[in-house]
Amino acid sequence: MSSQDIMLRELALRIGLAAHALPDTDARRLFTVLTDCVSLPITEAKISSINLKMLKTAQQGEFSTIDDALLRKALHILKTNVETGEIPKPEILRLAEGEMPGSVRIACASNDAINVDGHFGSCTQFMIYQVSADETRLIDIRPTNSLDGLDMEDKNRYRAELIQDCQVIYMASVGGPAAAKIVKLGIHPMKLPDVEPITDIIDQLQTVIAGTPPPWLAKVMGIEATNRFRFEREATG
Amino acid sequence: MALYIVEADCISCGDCEPVCPTNSITEGSIVFKIDKKSCTECEGDFDIPQCIKVCPIDNCILPLEA
Repeated sequence: MSSQDIMLRELALRIGLAAHALPDTDARRLFTVLTDCVSLPITEAKISSINLKMLKTAQQGEFSTIDDALLRKALHILKTNVETGEIPKPEILRLAEGEMPGSVRIACASNDAINVDGHFGSCTQFMIYQVSADETRLIDIRPTNSLDGLDMEDKNRYRAELIQDCQVIYMASVGGPAAAKIVKLGIHPMKLPDVEPITDIIDQLQTVIAGTPPPWLAKVMGIEATNRFRFEREATG
Repeated sequence: MALYIVEADCISCGDCEPVCPTNSITEGSIVFKIDKKSCTECEGDFDIPQCIKVCPIDNCILPLEA
């Protein structure tokens, strides 16, 4: 048996287990939806690109009535290697000083390394990206395993300091006192109304950067005030 | 006597708009803005300016120098 076959067997097992986590769903039904999501042949890379929205809308919304929590659980099973229990981690790329001008550094509170699904105070890691209009680089993954014995206030400060080189943090939820700590370090907190894939958030941010970023974002990106409205200024001389 | 919003700091959250007793705050083309002709700094309505009270950013809403 080739290693390719072993990989596929393991993936097939995951599809079976994931189907089992969904109501009235056998492996065949899930497989039909998955092939509509990513087309055949199904590979590890394609599976890891599937998000909740894709799963819900594929095959004319076959799974649209299933509870989000169950679908998320199925996705987690699909993406987790049965034997090692590991979710394949994306590759971290280096960022040399002075690289990527006109970019912003963002932190995403995440538990699964794929979605912004974490609460600021309890997520397992912060995914750190450098984002410019035309490039995105994952530059770090910072685990949050903080020291034991810290009280809530110290824990929040520790977590905020962990990301203090970032200008923006995206998270699924955050408490008031924690948000105050974040703001105090000059980081802009963004609480999302729903759990969203990190890739979607970055897409939206790139659109904003490529257009006319709002003044506060231009400011944290280090764009000089004189350049922010250059067209207006050029027009008026 | 009026307040103004610092353009570089306003994040356009819109929290200030509904709390203004004189409806002086509107969303401008870039960020929110205060109409200096109608802003009373809440005098007669509240002890402190309501927009400053709800604004999540420090020093984003300041008094306009006369």
